[in-house]
Amino acid sequence: MKKRVRKLKMDFVSSTTLDEKTEKKRIKFILDKVKDGSILVTDAVLNPKEEMSLIKETMRKVDDGFPGIEICSLKKQTRGFEFLVENLSDRRDKVRDFFGKLTGRKSSKKGLRTGITLIGPAKVIKSIKKNPNSFSVLAEA
Amino acid sequence: MVFGRFFNWFLGLFGVSRQIRLGLYGATNAGKTTLANKISLDWTGEKVGKTSVVPHETRFVQKKEKVEIKTDGRKVLINLLDMPGIATKINYKSFLRYGMSKNKAKKRAKEATDGVIEAIKWLSNVDTVLAVMDSTKDPLTQVNITLLGNLESRKIPVIIVANKIDKKRSKPKRIKEAFPQYPVVEISALKGTNINDLYHAIAKHSRRAK
Repeated sequence: MKKRVRKLKMDFVSSTTLDEKTEKKRIKFILDKVKDGSILVTDAVLNPKEEMSLIKETMRKVDDGFPGIEICSLKKQTRGFEFLVENLSDRRDKVRDFFGKLTGRKSSKKGLRTGITLIGPAKVIKSIKKNPNSFSVLAEA
Repeated sequence: MVFGRFFNWFLGLFGVSRQIRLGLYGATNAGKTTLANKISLDWTGEKVGKTSVVPHETRFVQKKEKVEIKTDGRKVLINLLDMPGIATKINYKSFLRYGMSKNKAKKRAKEATDGVIEAIKWLSNVDTVLAVMDSTKDPLTQVNITLLGNLESRKIPVIIVANKIDKKRSKPKRIKEAFPQYPVVEISALKGTNINDLYHAIAKHSRRAK
């Protein structure tokens, strides 16, 4: 008797691909992949506000066949010059928001942080065990 | 910010305190409503909401206004906001094991997803947050990390409440180690253990958002 092989799909997406998108499009891109059954891995970390928006959008998409997502990220600990650059990036986002509000042309393109993120369907990812500097994932197709 | 603090201090001289919107946030079944009930019962004699072992019992924001906490010779007037638990997944099938019918479970799941969205929306309307964590569980969850990161970026003061210390498997030390940059108060909302420490912390750390 032939044993049924269960397949697990993983998509490795570069931070450049995500960085090119606006916040809204980025979240849509991630959720489309995950809702399609893929586990998405990227070399970037969403900022906390974006992560909350991702949870919010996920909740809007929850249905009988899609109970939600599992997400885990590890942010690179930045020091010295890198820390300064990251802070400047946060400030740049705030300045963009400010001028966006003034001009009425709101830009939602925001800088990602360096690190690693895994996002997958809750149906597939059974558990995530996180430590301060690592995480392990148990998944089942 | 300096003016705001001076204004609060000035009002305090006349025994007038400004209302602080105190939000109770955290994952599901961390004990947020039990804590909200304890605080409200202690200072108003009334409960805020119903508690249950079934996750997502709180699916709408529950409010208790004008709760006056008196501690260390100070008065803090708060509007208590008990939020639905934040989650990244809600499966209606998980409610079936509590004896619910399929239709009832689906309805609860739908309300729970709406509750998570509502709780997230309320993040821009709270002054201070009690981040309630179940001390019997691993605190390094993405929900906790995302919540704290969000509050930090919004400059909202946070007090972490390590709840359920009356339980045998409780390890509040793990919470302190995971989030050393925040004040952590170890309590049992159910038994009322260390609840006065929490009131001291609320009086010390809570302030109106800028």
